[in-house]
Amino acid sequence: MAAEPIVRVLGVHKFFTRGSEQIDVLNDLHMEVADGEFLALMGPSGSGKTTLLNLIAGLDKPSQGDIWVGGQLISGMTEGQLARWRTRHVGFIFQFYHLLPVLTAYENVELPLLLLPLSTSERRRQVTLALDLVGLSDRLRHRPGQLSGGQQQRVGIARAIVTDPTLIVADEPTGDLDARSAEEILNLMGELRRSMNKTILMVTHDPRAAQRAQRVLHLDKGQLVEGDGHAGKSQEIWTPASARDGSPAMRGAVEGRPS
Amino acid sequence: MGYLIPIQELLWQMKQHPEQMSAMLVWIIAIATVTLFLLASAGFYYRKYVTLVFKSLRRNLLRTFLTSLAVMVLVFVLTLVVSFLAVLDFVMTEKSKDLKAIVTERWQVPSQMPYAYAPTLEQGAANRSGDIRPEDSMTWSFYGGTIDPEKKTRENMVFAFAMDPRKLRSMMDDLEDLDPAAQQKLVDNKRGILIGREKLQSMNKRVGERIKVTSMNYKDIDLEFDIVGTFPDGRYNNSAVMNRDYLVDALDAYPRTHNGSKHPLADKSLNLVWLRVPDTEAFRHMADQIMGSSLYSSPAVKVETASSGIATWIEPYRDLLWGLKWLLVPTLLITMVLVIANAISISVRERRTEMAVLKVLGFSPGRILALVLGEAVLIGGGSGLVSAGLWYYLIHGVMGGIKFPIAFFPIFDIYPDALWWGLLFGMVAALAGSIIPAWSARTVKVSEVFAKVA
Repeated sequence: MAAEPIVRVLGVHKFFTRGSEQIDVLNDLHMEVADGEFLALMGPSGSGKTTLLNLIAGLDKPSQGDIWVGGQLISGMTEGQLARWRTRHVGFIFQFYHLLPVLTAYENVELPLLLLPLSTSERRRQVTLALDLVGLSDRLRHRPGQLSGGQQQRVGIARAIVTDPTLIVADEPTGDLDARSAEEILNLMGELRRSMNKTILMVTHDPRAAQRAQRVLHLDKGQLVEGDGHAGKSQEIWTPASARDGSPAMRGAVEGRPS
Repeated sequence: MGYLIPIQELLWQMKQHPEQMSAMLVWIIAIATVTLFLLASAGFYYRKYVTLVFKSLRRNLLRTFLTSLAVMVLVFVLTLVVSFLAVLDFVMTEKSKDLKAIVTERWQVPSQMPYAYAPTLEQGAANRSGDIRPEDSMTWSFYGGTIDPEKKTRENMVFAFAMDPRKLRSMMDDLEDLDPAAQQKLVDNKRGILIGREKLQSMNKRVGERIKVTSMNYKDIDLEFDIVGTFPDGRYNNSAVMNRDYLVDALDAYPRTHNGSKHPLADKSLNLVWLRVPDTEAFRHMADQIMGSSLYSSPAVKVETASSGIATWIEPYRDLLWGLKWLLVPTLLITMVLVIANAISISVRERRTEMAVLKVLGFSPGRILALVLGEAVLIGGGSGLVSAGLWYYLIHGVMGGIKFPIAFFPIFDIYPDALWWGLLFGMVAALAGSIIPAWSARTVKVSEVFAKVA
């Protein structure tokens, strides 16, 4: 029997309102992410990648449809419930790291743990472990201004994993890094997935980053086109419409090509 | 604003009623312990976030410093104004027990009653069974003059209360610590005079010296005094006390050297009579006795409590005091609110992304609101406490109060209550000023912030 997917997106619509105009960002989206999978989301600007990421991470709610993460229906939660859920179940890696400049690396990583009922010694143990995993155990007392871009992203990754979340979401994690640092970060993420069996959902424009993923999904105008993780290949798109009438739906115009 | 000085009121009560001190102390310790326990518990429970709040203030040290400085200056001015108003309230607050009644001339200011009124007034005009007699009494006549009639200056003038020296420690406020030997010297030596330290210094005189005062209100009654002592440091630093018998004898002797003519003030030398009564009921009864007596018809007299007497005295300044209380104080508070609002608004605007990150990490909107409010309260409350504490130390501890040479008033001082005023004003202003930016921080939309960032 196939394992239950860790993420299930069912018939999700998302639109924004600008004055009297309704802007559709996601249209009748269906997708699943298996437990321990490394999935990359690609697509042109405005295709809805970040919006989809935010919905799965519980940072926003769909206008319509359901989202299940780790067996919980998050699309029905209140803002307060989502905040508590995110603390335990989601680790977020930002493109621009977004570390608090007045806190040390240790304190930045400790931030999510402040929301959990842990003692000071327990927090210390987990923070030290997380920073050790990303290779920054000698930078505990450094502030972000004293770290390189790659090191700051490592701290960001440590912060994302310190609560042992169900899901790690990364929004352009290598977008602000040079090639070498980006390579290190991708290696680290791959290692985390392998050693800790973490499910990683990554939005990226970088084909090299996408190649590290087990599966690549392309998003265009709010709809998914699935790839197999390698540039240049695409498969038939699955939508409820195609399942009904057996005809192929729209094929992805972007086939592994960064925007 | 008397309600703002509970600590000072309590200290005064403990001084007046030492037999109740132990009970009062128990209450003080109990309340202080419970309060500190609650604060410590809250601080301990939320200590995880205290570091975050403190460190956020370090983000822009210059802005934090300038905001704190502005709050400290405003709290200083507020503390001075509120202290001044609190003193006035304190002295004008009607007491219910241990009252002092003042008897003065009814239709004239300054009050100038004949000295013949004194013996019966000191008994509260009691002459029938059932009449109330005062627990204690004191008469005042005012004698003022200069020790250098050729060149009159503020420094060489002296203003003395002519009174029965035996009543100094029992009836005069804040003279419980007067040296009994100095008081006895005044009793034994009719020509004796006690002069306050600052007045002695300004006149360049010392205890033991003799001075001749050329009177300015009792013309041609120039008296020689032996300086037999001085007052404890306090409200009488610029005052003097002489034996009333000396003045009375001089008035009686005046006709012998002035062709049999009485001195113009011979029948007007009694200015005030103080009477101590146990409670308001006794006061009312005695007031009726005095004002209903036929002994005091020309001139007529009136009886009022000390607090209402002071209120009458400052009646001309009512509008000014109203302006201080209802215009200046609110203006200062509003200014403090705006200063803090400005600083916190800028801080929140700069940190919208940071607020969004905290939300992503799981900080609830309520926690983010609390963090911003915490920063504001720390600046406002902390600055207020430091400012009030600093000025309390300087004005009360070092200067001994702001000396105001008005007879009825104590030295204007910063009370220990200023410590919690400063903290409270700062905290309240901080909360009021930061609530809108804190709400704005609370409602940051993560998706909008990161859409702009990306």
